[in-house]
Amino acid sequence: MGRSLKKGPYVDLKLLKKVQKQTESGSSEPIKTWARACTIIPDFINSTFLVHNGKDFKKVTVTENMVGHKLGEFSVTRKPALHGSHKK
Amino acid sequence: MARIQGVDIPPNKRVEISLTYIYGIGFKTALDVCNEAGIDPAIKARDLSDDEVSRLSSIIESNCVVEGQLRRVIQQNIGRLKDIACYRGLRHRRGLPVRGQNTRNNSRTRKGPKRLVAKKKK
Repeated sequence: MGRSLKKGPYVDLKLLKKVQKQTESGSSEPIKTWARACTIIPDFINSTFLVHNGKDFKKVTVTENMVGHKLGEFSVTRKPALHGSHKK
Repeated sequence: MARIQGVDIPPNKRVEISLTYIYGIGFKTALDVCNEAGIDPAIKARDLSDDEVSRLSSIIESNCVVEGQLRRVIQQNIGRLKDIACYRGLRHRRGLPVRGQNTRNNSRTRKGPKRLVAKKKK
């Protein structure tokens, strides 16, 4: 089920503040974050995040197409299942 | 025989049914189209006059995305997901179910026929 329109998209406030501070100062250092549930809004375009996947931080550079998705969608939490000998 | 939107030739069925042979038109849309054209959905498709056919055709053209165009739109949407490498896109790339279904068993529609693994000899 979708989220009620009345509430608007869920955006992590602390993260939003950080992004705004960065766009003001013009730096493009990746922002480390655990806020996987945070919706990507147009303000985030061109900023880089390090999104936690439970183990590591995955680098996500936001492009225009990503708006409306959540940050977590770009940081895979599962290890692919490999069978047999996949070494070498 | 009527041709609507290129290839589709719906035959001896009621108009409401034969319209659903067009990709992108289901029963609901077919009824809506009939209503808008002022055509009784219960008559057979072969009894449509040329004028009625062209009326249906123009309504479908202006209101619905169908056939090749619809397929293209769907492919574009999937392409976008693959492009931005989000979770859904990755599932599309790997040919696995996209909407969180279990993959321990089944999921054969997405995964295709079974690929058997040779049993190890003792």
